[in-house]
Amino acid sequence: MIEEPYRWVEAIANRREYIEAQLAPGSPIAALGYHDGILFLTVGRTRQKLFEIYDRIAMGAIGHPGDIERLRMAAIELASTEGFTRSAADVSLRRLVHYSLSPVMKSAFEQVYGPPFLARMLFAEVGERAEKDLFLRVEYDGEIATNGATYAQARRDFAVLSGTRQSGELMEAFLKTQHVPDASFEATLNSALDAWSIGHMSLQASDANQLPERDDVLKYRQDQLADSGIEAALLERDAKRAIRYRSLSDTELRPLIND
Amino acid sequence: MERSPVGLDQNFSGAAGVFAALLRGKGLLVPAIVSPMAQAGTPQKVWQPTEATTILAFKFSGGVLVAGDRRATAGNTVVYDRADKVLEIDRHSIMAIAGVPATAWEMARVLEHSFQYFRRTQLQEMSVDGKVRALSKLLRDNFGFVMQGVGVVVPIFATYDSHPKPEARLYFYDAMGAQFEATDYAATGSGSPAVRGILYYENNWGAKPLHKMSEDEAVSIALRALDTAAESDTSTGGVDRGGKIYPLMKIVSREGITTLQESKIAAVFKETVA
Repeated sequence: MIEEPYRWVEAIANRREYIEAQLAPGSPIAALGYHDGILFLTVGRTRQKLFEIYDRIAMGAIGHPGDIERLRMAAIELASTEGFTRSAADVSLRRLVHYSLSPVMKSAFEQVYGPPFLARMLFAEVGERAEKDLFLRVEYDGEIATNGATYAQARRDFAVLSGTRQSGELMEAFLKTQHVPDASFEATLNSALDAWSIGHMSLQASDANQLPERDDVLKYRQDQLADSGIEAALLERDAKRAIRYRSLSDTELRPLIND
Repeated sequence: MERSPVGLDQNFSGAAGVFAALLRGKGLLVPAIVSPMAQAGTPQKVWQPTEATTILAFKFSGGVLVAGDRRATAGNTVVYDRADKVLEIDRHSIMAIAGVPATAWEMARVLEHSFQYFRRTQLQEMSVDGKVRALSKLLRDNFGFVMQGVGVVVPIFATYDSHPKPEARLYFYDAMGAQFEATDYAATGSGSPAVRGILYYENNWGAKPLHKMSEDEAVSIALRALDTAAESDTSTGGVDRGGKIYPLMKIVSREGITTLQESKIAAVFKETVA
């Protein structure tokens, strides 16, 4: 039946609908570039969602843990082999995603008899300067969104990942007005937490298409932080050390939150 | 799907976290030689150890001091007088090498990437025992080349262990990959008999045992030991007084690795050795 083209289109559309529904409850992840590096942040109760890929590359993902794990392993494997045979400076996030991950995810998605990857990923690569930071979001169908490599779009120093398109758009709308690239770590942390809260609020109320009031965000944030942990990781810009990835603990971040 | 070094392999082996196996699978590392014995019928070569250099390491009050001379030789020729034989593998581990540089540096590279690969894939740091064992495995895999008279490497491995008891740890190896934990000091390379004599003497009958020494005292002993080794061993550079080339020294402690500044080594040298 799939031999008929329109059946194939229908099968793909069904598959897209199914995957979107599966990913919809995924807790948002925000990645914000600032003076000293890139901060990755999410709030959660369950499994780890932020990972180290290579010296300057980190990843955050939502989706099925099995699929995330396969993609994470593949990314580490590719980056490590490249870094070993050439040098760490030759490991490039752009190549990793464009030439390796995206085509594989696309073909898995379109081969309707095989399983697709149930995952949506956000990658970041820290640059020498904030303007060189690269953010790439990869969808389950291999689609790539970036922080302004296109001519039409102004460069952004943040990227978000969320369960629904609307939630992600609200987070981006918030960060566009609130986040500045030369912000301090503390300001960046609080912007990231606010962005997460806005994204998470949108997931709870599907009809919300406006940014919520400031006080509502703060209240929501406090409620959520009362029984969930902050998961955060840093890609440091400091060139003295080769490995820039450092995970941050909940306890070291709590004192820096403005309530 | 075709398999290439940059292609995504659907059957990746990442779950085991063994980087050397991954490299072999992609044909990026020489396969481990199963039988190191030379084939029957070919003349057996007597294996001569050729690790022409001197490296030493000992525990002192501030951690482990690892020192190596800078000379690289090929037969009677001095090839290079600024060779770096004390290599950082990760934030708390140092591998110091005596032997064929090409093999040794490759080993250090594999080791460095192995530890990182393990941490990234398995989401936990490799244990000290695991790290020590990983180097042992690389030496073992290399033994075929050693038997053919090329590629012998005899390293020292120094690291800081946070579990179960925080302490600096020091290991030395033989060319086959046997590992030995050193309680106080280790030395390998062609100049090592002299160094071992000095360190044994200092540890037992010196002003104070090695593990009680301050950093300056430790640097001074290391300089004297390498200078003594260079006195009779042509393959050891010791201290080049004319060219002002000093041995390379690094310290492993709880805080990580510190490379001693040349100016500091020069000052200690001027005061206590020259």
